[in-house]
Amino acid sequence: MSHENSPNPAPESENKIVKLRTFNLGLALAISFSGFILPGLGHILMGRWVRGAMLALAIGLMFLIGISMQGELYVSDLSQTPLRLFGFFADVGVGLLYWLAEHAKLGSGNMSARTYDYGTTYLWVCGLLNYLAIMDAFDIARGRKP
Amino acid sequence: MNLSHFEALFVFAFLVSTVFGLTTKTTPKEQFRYGVFVFCSFLGVAIVVGWLMYPLPW
Repeated sequence: MSHENSPNPAPESENKIVKLRTFNLGLALAISFSGFILPGLGHILMGRWVRGAMLALAIGLMFLIGISMQGELYVSDLSQTPLRLFGFFADVGVGLLYWLAEHAKLGSGNMSARTYDYGTTYLWVCGLLNYLAIMDAFDIARGRKP
Repeated sequence: MNLSHFEALFVFAFLVSTVFGLTTKTTPKEQFRYGVFVFCSFLGVAIVVGWLMYPLPW
């Protein structure tokens, strides 16, 4: 039965076929991994300016607040306890910002500061959120999400 | 920066809920509604758990 003859035709929005722009796998990977250079850059490269800018602002602000709270950026030192590698994995998710802060000696952390734990948590979570943003950019680039 | 526990929680909830809303929903309206839901959940759960722990002696 066609929609013209059905008693309750589907709304216009349900009938609309949305054609998603997709990129090949290599390009999608390159676009999504550009989020390591700047959080949200993958979205911006695909023309999603607002989403990319808001991601960059939220993740970048979280990183700056974490640093200013004297949080610690974990390093990939295998001689330390293995649990710290999880912290390193989380921290490094923010990409270039991590390396810049490490080279500027900003993430050494001050354990005697009252906000040390909060700051370290901010730094972990902003890295993990950037992983989420990178996967979101990949899904958009492959046409899995509008 | 010397934020209190609640201020740190508030800013954390705001920024995380922004990213959650942007990455998990598609339309701006859905993103906003989900972001508000996550933000209120963060604050609500923290306050409830805080009061539940209040009478604990250790």
